[in-house]
Amino acid sequence: MVVLNKKAFILPRVEKEKFIRLMRLGLEYNRDKGSYSISHFDNIEKLIDTISSILNDEVLFLQNCLMCSKDFPCSDCKYADFCATKNLPFQCVCPQCLKEGKTHQQKIF
Amino acid sequence: MKNDLLWVEKYRPKKISEVLGNELAKTTFINWLNNKRRRKKAVLLYGPAGVGKTALVNAASNQFNFTIIEMNASDTRTEKAINKVGKPATSFVALDKFSTETKGNILFLDEVDGVFGQQDRGGIGAIIKIVKESLIPVVMAANNPDIKKLRPLKKVCQMIRFQQVRIPLIITMLRRICVMENVEAEFEALERIAQNSRGDMRSAINDLQSISEGRPVLRVQDTMFLSYRNKDIGMYETIMGVFSAESVGDAAMILNRSNVNYDDFLLSISDNLPLRYPDSADLAHAYDLVSRADVFRGRVGTENWHLLRYFFNLLAEAATVSPRSFKPFEVISPPIRIMKLFWTKSKRTKLENICAKIALKCHVSRTTAKTDIVPFVKIILEKQKSSPIISWLKLEPNDVDYLIKINKF
Repeated sequence: MVVLNKKAFILPRVEKEKFIRLMRLGLEYNRDKGSYSISHFDNIEKLIDTISSILNDEVLFLQNCLMCSKDFPCSDCKYADFCATKNLPFQCVCPQCLKEGKTHQQKIF
Repeated sequence: MKNDLLWVEKYRPKKISEVLGNELAKTTFINWLNNKRRRKKAVLLYGPAGVGKTALVNAASNQFNFTIIEMNASDTRTEKAINKVGKPATSFVALDKFSTETKGNILFLDEVDGVFGQQDRGGIGAIIKIVKESLIPVVMAANNPDIKKLRPLKKVCQMIRFQQVRIPLIITMLRRICVMENVEAEFEALERIAQNSRGDMRSAINDLQSISEGRPVLRVQDTMFLSYRNKDIGMYETIMGVFSAESVGDAAMILNRSNVNYDDFLLSISDNLPLRYPDSADLAHAYDLVSRADVFRGRVGTENWHLLRYFFNLLAEAATVSPRSFKPFEVISPPIRIMKLFWTKSKRTKLENICAKIALKCHVSRTTAKTDIVPFVKIILEKQKSSPIISWLKLEPNDVDYLIKINKF
């Protein structure tokens, strides 16, 4: 299992066709750093399948907490089984912040 | 007066940051809205209900000082009505664009997947025309962008997908509302409301309001009567649900919640009964109930909807003839009849074309040509493949081959 950060991750060198496919599915390539980031999420499921086939492993993205900006995996969340976007890199709230209700209101509103 | 407001209205996001979840959809939309050299003049926001599509458009227009010209499902959206509202709005630059207070107008067409039927005739065509000629941003929202009617629209729009809102985010929002409304809520109660909503923020807020009405303290027991929201129950889930139901009541409840096409569902139940009931007596009883359900479906037609409950009850009874005998099985989906119609479409079209040629020459209807003349033409052609009747009826060589090979008319 490979855990990636949506803001920047590195993939092994890929063929031209695969690279084009990755770009079309929503990745962005930073030439200077040699890293990829996700630019749009419209085809996120297909994108994850393609990255999995490149890495020959299951791919997981870290979630970013809306409150404390900490990165955390979906396995920490007890609602993962009910979540339609499990392991996809979207905005969420980490279990610790969810327990401490008071700080949230100040953060968002 | 303020207390009478629905909480979904009262706590409608005023700023983009208040729209929870779907952060990338939000970024894409804002970039598109603020880009003066847009590659596409229109944007289609799509995704399940209650995830913040309309809220985002309202919040963005509020934040960036756009004026929204909106048409939603409550308006009649015929070609004439859309042109009446859309054309002046999109063809002329509003005077207030030159003021520093506003950036101009946005044409917002909500629930465009609901533009259909006799009432909205020509609506989609008019929208496409407006998008092509528009001088202002055109924003559309839809739950299901995959319907056939929206295909031409998708070509002229930038598509932005919205996902279900995550449970922790819904809980956060509910908790904030409880604080504002002075409702002391147990975490488990909010958790249950959020789980029930299945990613639909609007329904979660509505549930919270309905449950906490007149209650200063909200406990988990108060949420017990909440039933699961009817979301995307497809044919497969509905069939498996009714077949595995333990009582007629359970099966009827699933049927009431499902939004599958009644006729397709009747066919699917009928196709899957032999897999469900290995015992022939059970199977015969179930088929008897399905046939009676079919009778009621015919009686319901397009106006006697009050009879629909009998149709549902009979189907529920058919699915639960012997609840204890249920064993999981592979469901046949979609119905065989629909698949057969799909497979034989080209053949049926060919036969229709031949019948049209015969009907024209013999001065009869196509149906008469099919039933009374085609069988005899087939016999003639079987005996003599180069019969003069071919040139007289103006049949093509492949028509002749088809008629010789055909078994059923």
